[in-house]
Order: sequence, then C-alpha cells, then structure tokens
Amino acid sequence: MSSFKFYKPDNMEDLLKVKEELGGRALILAGGTNLLIYIKEGSIREGTLVDIKSLKELKGISGDNGYIEIGAGVTIAEILESPLLNDRVPFFTDTLKNFANPLVRNMASLGGNIADASPIGDTIPSLLVLNGRIKAACLKGERSVPLDRLFKGPGESNLKPDEVIRTVQFSIPERGKGTFIKLGLRNGTSCSVTSVAVWLAAEDGRVEDIRIAFGGVAPIPLRLKKTESLFKGEKLDEEKIRALSGEIDKEISPITDVRGSAEYRKQVSVRLLSRAVRICMGMEE
Amino acid sequence: MSNRELYDIALTVNDQEVKGRVKAETTLLDFLRDNNFYEVKKGCDKGDCGACTVIMDGKSTLSCITSVLQAQGSKIYTVKSLGTWDKLHSLQQAFVDYEAVQCGFCTPGMLMTAKALLEKNDHPSREEIREAISGNLCRCTGYKKIVDAIEAVSKGVRK
Repeated sequence: MSSFKFYKPDNMEDLLKVKEELGGRALILAGGTNLLIYIKEGSIREGTLVDIKSLKELKGISGDNGYIEIGAGVTIAEILESPLLNDRVPFFTDTLKNFANPLVRNMASLGGNIADASPIGDTIPSLLVLNGRIKAACLKGERSVPLDRLFKGPGESNLKPDEVIRTVQFSIPERGKGTFIKLGLRNGTSCSVTSVAVWLAAEDGRVEDIRIAFGGVAPIPLRLKKTESLFKGEKLDEEKIRALSGEIDKEISPITDVRGSAEYRKQVSVRLLSRAVRICMGMEE
Repeated sequence: MSNRELYDIALTVNDQEVKGRVKAETTLLDFLRDNNFYEVKKGCDKGDCGACTVIMDGKSTLSCITSVLQAQGSKIYTVKSLGTWDKLHSLQQAFVDYEAVQCGFCTPGMLMTAKALLEKNDHPSREEIREAISGNLCRCTGYKKIVDAIEAVSKGVRK
C-alpha cells in the first residue's frame, strides 16, 4: 500500500535538513504537474511530499551583465511574463510558449522540469545551447553543475539524494541568434516528439560559433558537439545545411514510442536541424 | 488505514470556508468532489484535459494535479461562483447564446479558464483566446463557438 507524508519547510535551511535526513524519500513538490501524476500512476509509492511552492529562496529572476539567474521554483508562466527575460533573452522565453498548456505553465516550475530529467523536458535544449548550469544545494554547501553533465538517463540525474536545485544560470552569448523548434503531435498540451535548439553566430554566411541541442533523440537531452564541429567555419548555403544536418545520424539514438518511431525521429531531426539553422541564418522565417 | 497520517486542511471555496482531514497526496479535485463540489469535473485526472479547472488565488489551475495541502488557506472559485440559474454570468449566458455547449462536460473548466483570461486581459484577440483555452479539451463543439462566446463577452456583444 502506498504511504505518503507531507511537510512544508519554512526556509531553505529547513528544506536542506529534510533532504539530508530523508534523501531520495523527500519528494520535492513544487507545481506537482509531474510528481502527483507519478504518485497516481503508482510509479512512486512512498515518501514525504516536501512543499517548496512558496519558498522565497527559490523564487526570483535576476540579470547582470548578460548573466541570468532564475530560481528553481519560478514557474514557466512567470518566466514567460518576465520583462527582464523577454527583453534580454527572448530566445529563451519564445522557447517556452509551447510548453504543455497555459494551465500547466501556471503551475510547473523550471527546476522541476530539469529535475524530472526527461529526455523531452522542454526547457532543457535551449538551456543546453545557452551553456546553462544549475546550482545544486545541500547542507554542506553548493556546487555548480553544467546541464550537459547533469543527466544520466530517462528520469535520472547526477543530483545527489541530499541535493536540491536552487537556481538555474546562463550567460547570454554576445553575438548570434537562437531558435527552438518543438515538434509535437499537435500544438497545444503536447509532449515533444523531438525538439531542437540552435544558437548560431555567423559572419558573411560563415559559421563562427554554433551550439546544437536536441530533446527526444537519446536517453537524455543532448548537446551534439560532433555535429557542431562539422558546422564550424563552414560557409552555409541551402545544400550545405542539408548535408551537414544529415550528419546528426551518428550522434543520436532515438527510440520508438507512442509518439513516433525511431526512424521517423531520425528523419525528422535532420529536417528540424536544417530548418533551425536556416532560421538562425535568416534564410527562413 | 489506521497507520496513515492525516493532515488538517482549511481553505475557502466560493467564499465559504471548507475544512477537512486529508492524506498527504490528496488532490484538490478529490477534496472538492468529496465536499460536494461536483461541478468540478474529473476527466483525465492527469492534467491533460482541463475539465477540473478552478481559479486558485487568481490563477486558472488544474485541480487534479494540485495537492490540496498546497492549497492551504487559498481562495478557490468553481463554476458555481459565476452565476445562478436566474442570473447567469455573462460568460455563461454567452455560452448558451452561442451554443458553445454540447455535452457540457468541459464547460465548467472552460468557463473558469475564460474567466481567468478576461480578468487578466479584457480584450483578448481570437488567437489569445485560442491559446488560453488550449489546455481545455472539448470533444464536441470544435472550439469555434466557444471562442465566439468568449470573444462576444470581451467585446460586450449580446446575441
């Protein structure tokens, strides 16, 4: 029989103490949009729900010299409504416009989407191309973990049992343009089949810097560094973009599930990458 | 069941205080229905359909994936807070006038999402209305009449 307890910490220290004491049995409850479903499905059968929804230390969005820090408890709707983020990094706010649906966005937190460690977490590809990091806190202190080293497999991260995500940070690249394309089975209330984020800086059509990240093509959200290195220094035209995008085959390992087959995901990923690069190059709307 | 821990909960629903003892994982939806607020519908029970939408502290919220203990002290409004049979709320009247209701199951959630939208943005575009209700699924009317009804209220038009 399932058995749960409920605890609402008063402050960060209190939260970290509970995490220290209970480890993985302390189930962090922010928006609940994943956790309560896991409990209903029976995939989590016991533990203490630790309510962090109104914890001030996990709120807040700040920006300084192109460096952005977002509290893990900030909701997707709060990110979308943030004047600072819309002004400074519209690429990131645009990314979240197709996150689930407006009701879920009112509830779901940024930290929760990351901690869930889903291969199709919709906040993650964009944060990967922004070289995002998290600050993981425990009673002993804090450490900074790059997002591309956080994930181990579906639902598994390198967070230790006594750690919580406190904030998410990234630096806005000085040059270039980013885009995010999410392919779902429909536009609203949809899980990604595959998603891609690209950040690209080019001079006279030649790639100076490119960062590519995919969701839904591997056990974890993935930075495609090999493909990036193929693009770097290349002068891009339609044909070149198509050819180089075809090279992602070697770096991705999608699976077949209810939303699409592995073969479909491979083919559509090539097309998505081409389109994202063309958008960044101003060759397509 | 004797070893199960129960917790006190108190919140207001449609400006009435409601109290109870709940399990840690009890959802707001189950709590509301257990307290006879049957107007809040249980559809998918996993946050996909929007039938259970209520307004919690000013925000449209999926009650099926909200822990009721997180709603401690909150102000919850269900569709019954809108109008009465004799005096329908303008949104309810518009849903009738524009035939935006067929089977009616999605309507309580749809109306609450529409109410939260209009409180935030009293003149939304059709696109903004479509976006706002994108988490409320209707399997009957095809949305056009629902959008028509919400738009009519926002423009103060009566059919």
